[in-house]
Amino acid sequence: MGSERGADSTDAAGDSDGAPSDDPPAVELDGVTKRYGDAAAVDDVSLAVREGEFFTLVGPSGCGKTTTLRLIAGFEEPTTGTVRFSGESVAGVPPEDRDVGVVFQNYALFPHMTVGENVGYGLNFADPPEGTSRDERVAELLELVDLPDAADRDPESLSGGQRQRVAMARALAPGPDLLLLDEPMSALDAQLRERLRVQVRRIQSELGITTVYVTHDQEEALAISDRVAVMRDGRPEQIAPPRTVYREPSSRFVAEFVGDNNVFAGRVVDVEGGEAGDEDASRTVGVDVGGEVLRVEADEGVVSGDRLAFCVRPEYLRIGEGENRVRATVASAEFLGETTRVTLDWGGRDLVVRTRDPLSGEVVVGFDPEDAHVIDGDEA
Amino acid sequence: MSDASRGAASGGADDSPATRPLRERVARRLRGRLLTALAVVTSAVLVAAFYYPVGTVLIEAVVVDGVATLAVFAELLRDPFYFGELARLFAGESPLAVARALLGPDRRLGIVGFTAYQAALSTVASVALGLPAAYLLARFEFPGRRTLRSLTIVPFVLPSIMVAVGFVATFGANGTLNRVLGALGLPPVDLMFTLQAIVIAHAFYNAPLVARVTTAAWESVDASAVETARSLGAGPVRAFFDVVAPQVYPAVLTGAALTFVFTFGTFPIVLALGGFELATVEVFVYRLVRDLNYAEAAALAIVELLISLGVLLAYLRYEARNAVSSRGVRPLPRKSLLPSTPTARELLPRAGLAVYAAVAALLFLAPLASMVLASVTGGDGALTLDHYRFLLDRQRTGAAFQVRPWPAIRNSLAFASASTLLALPMGVVVAVLTTRRYRGRKLVDAAAMAPLAVSGIIVGLGLLRGLVFGVEIAGWRFAATGAAAIVVAHAVAGYPFVVRTVAPGLEGLDRSLIESARALGASRARVIRDVELPLVWPGVVAGAAFAFAISIGEFTATVVLATGADAYTMPVAIERFIGRRLGPATAMGVVLLVVTGLSFVVIERLGGETRGL
Repeated sequence: MGSERGADSTDAAGDSDGAPSDDPPAVELDGVTKRYGDAAAVDDVSLAVREGEFFTLVGPSGCGKTTTLRLIAGFEEPTTGTVRFSGESVAGVPPEDRDVGVVFQNYALFPHMTVGENVGYGLNFADPPEGTSRDERVAELLELVDLPDAADRDPESLSGGQRQRVAMARALAPGPDLLLLDEPMSALDAQLRERLRVQVRRIQSELGITTVYVTHDQEEALAISDRVAVMRDGRPEQIAPPRTVYREPSSRFVAEFVGDNNVFAGRVVDVEGGEAGDEDASRTVGVDVGGEVLRVEADEGVVSGDRLAFCVRPEYLRIGEGENRVRATVASAEFLGETTRVTLDWGGRDLVVRTRDPLSGEVVVGFDPEDAHVIDGDEA
Repeated sequence: MSDASRGAASGGADDSPATRPLRERVARRLRGRLLTALAVVTSAVLVAAFYYPVGTVLIEAVVVDGVATLAVFAELLRDPFYFGELARLFAGESPLAVARALLGPDRRLGIVGFTAYQAALSTVASVALGLPAAYLLARFEFPGRRTLRSLTIVPFVLPSIMVAVGFVATFGANGTLNRVLGALGLPPVDLMFTLQAIVIAHAFYNAPLVARVTTAAWESVDASAVETARSLGAGPVRAFFDVVAPQVYPAVLTGAALTFVFTFGTFPIVLALGGFELATVEVFVYRLVRDLNYAEAAALAIVELLISLGVLLAYLRYEARNAVSSRGVRPLPRKSLLPSTPTARELLPRAGLAVYAAVAALLFLAPLASMVLASVTGGDGALTLDHYRFLLDRQRTGAAFQVRPWPAIRNSLAFASASTLLALPMGVVVAVLTTRRYRGRKLVDAAAMAPLAVSGIIVGLGLLRGLVFGVEIAGWRFAATGAAAIVVAHAVAGYPFVVRTVAPGLEGLDRSLIESARALGASRARVIRDVELPLVWPGVVAGAAFAFAISIGEFTATVVLATGADAYTMPVAIERFIGRRLGPATAMGVVLLVVTGLSFVVIERLGGETRGL
């Protein structure tokens, strides 16, 4: 893989991180709904994937992420709404004419073909790049996925991780415009998964190929993506870069699905500082959570008497420190190596903290108002 | 831009839908229609060779002299000759009186009743004989187990008329059984033209079928389910009845239902072993056809069809409600045939199986062995090649109206090859169509499988009167030769087996394989060629073997269509010999056995070499 690809990827990265350009998005779903009988697997989804972007659909099983991917690939047609590639509707275009590469969870390698024949299969329908023979292209792709000598092997003789990489090479060989990955690593063990996702990301940036990735593993989604769509019940709840999704979840569902979190809900009892009009000043509100008033930063829309939900990540809950402090008792502890994940019982509510030192009995745990994130639009 | 590498990779073509050349769009349209075109051709063949001819015959039952009427049916239903005591019910007598008569000592069953009665007995015998085999095959490990398991398919494809000859050679007045009895100083028994002979012959055919489906279900029982039951406190017997039996039972019922339907429509076995004295419905339909009583034959065939379909439908409804779909992740471990400890629990089942094995070996090997033996035994009991010499003489000197062996062999092979070539694409197309998901799929499935349920006599008769005698369409007269009609009839009889061997493979194919190929640029038709067919190829080969075997052994439709002097096949030749001389019939049977066996080897070889093409 030449250096020119590396240079390309820098460009691509620059593009996708920059301000929205005038170019139409590589993939766009516009009010897409997919119904099976009465049930909507995908419910009025609108989203746009930028050119060269690594975009991940994440959510619990049954949230519609795989159906969304299949709608993009053309294996399903939307019940209503439009899928566009670079601004053009692809309605009625069969999968073979969409120039997409697909990698499935079970890899779907053709068992009656060698690894090389698998990788070369798509070249029956698309020419390899100019100046490259079919065999060279196959060798090039196997090189790319670090399996240079596998061409004559039987797919059955490969390990799971190797199969996954062959599937990746096969999908990329015809030079698709779009790479679609449907839980490509969920059948692999944890360590291998971490290694492979680094490799997948490396290949993606080398080629600068627009990629849509489906996973149920939020950690994987955060680690690998430029942007993440957290899906629930057939719709995205939040579409944002991983950091934003983690730090500023837009809903209680996102807050709890992505990483460990402590979610509190209560009624606002007093509002302090940053009176109306004073936008910059930090403004905190006291929230009555189970009889204890906890102070959190909130924007000016919040007034006394509102119901409010907010979340505090375990790493921001500190023992014996913080402006808001509560007394809780240790309920259970999981030793994770670097830290210990401790579940505390605070008046019947669970609080999760991470500590280095062992905890027991009754502890005081606290957090600062600025470390709490108010969840927008919570009806709790 | 990053497009540089990708653009080059995709050949630099601008493939956005708007600029896609018209030519390519048209090509895509056509590719999408290829399957449709094949489906249309298949439907056309089915209509011409099955629905139209059968329809014309069946219509005769309800249209007499151009007037629609149910009179033929009404007469049939009220005729005790057909329906026995039940006919009185149809004639308006009180159900109580009829019930009393049915329970009485000299009840009459009529032909339909007798057919159902012998089918029920045959089903019981087949299940009784098939279950121990399933137990042996599913639960024990021994040398040759796999071979034995694949052999269970053999009786099903053996030409029925040959099996009938084998049974005559075994149970006939001068058969092996009586020779053995005579040698032991025991009085001879005459089983010919008895219900027992028919039931045993039916068990020969269908017990392996029962064993086969039951073994498959038994093998798919997950060992961990049994282990869970055991760990929860159930003893081995209890665990069997709570966990294994419920999963095996539906398969037994499948075997039983199919056995009933097959034996209800039985023809060559009864014709050869029972004659017209013990006629079943199908035999009597044949007789009515021979007597040119088409209306009554058609009406009787409809009654037969309705009963068969009724049983199948009842069974399918049961199956839909009780389907157990567990794929055994880890099958139950097989036990050794040698007992590990000399306890009763170890010894008893094995002793039982040993007795069973002796009975089964006798039942399954005796007819074929007796046929071979009889073909080299003269009237005086000495070894002789006279019967084969007779065939050769007949070939040399036989008159034009006489059945000669070589044309029979030649016709059988030619018809079987031609009908296999026709049945294969038909079967594959229908298999593809019936494994897709769309509205009306069940209807397509049913329409395509109907030939299995319709009397072969009626198919033969329909083809004879519809195609061979000619049909006039828009002033043009179309007529097929008897040979062509036989090929078509065999293909129609054989292709459902191609569907049945190919469809499960297609159904079981991982959908993501197909989707991967499509995402890589292959059209739907191309995926069938590149991915689906190679992966289900063993099923296609098996289907070809089936189609070939069905054709070579087909007797029912052939005997109707081969009325001319020159279109007879080996089974027809055997039947014409059997009435007069058993010796030449057995010799001809041996020839048929050898030709069928060789054909199977050839098909296996061909299939093996072209695998993964």
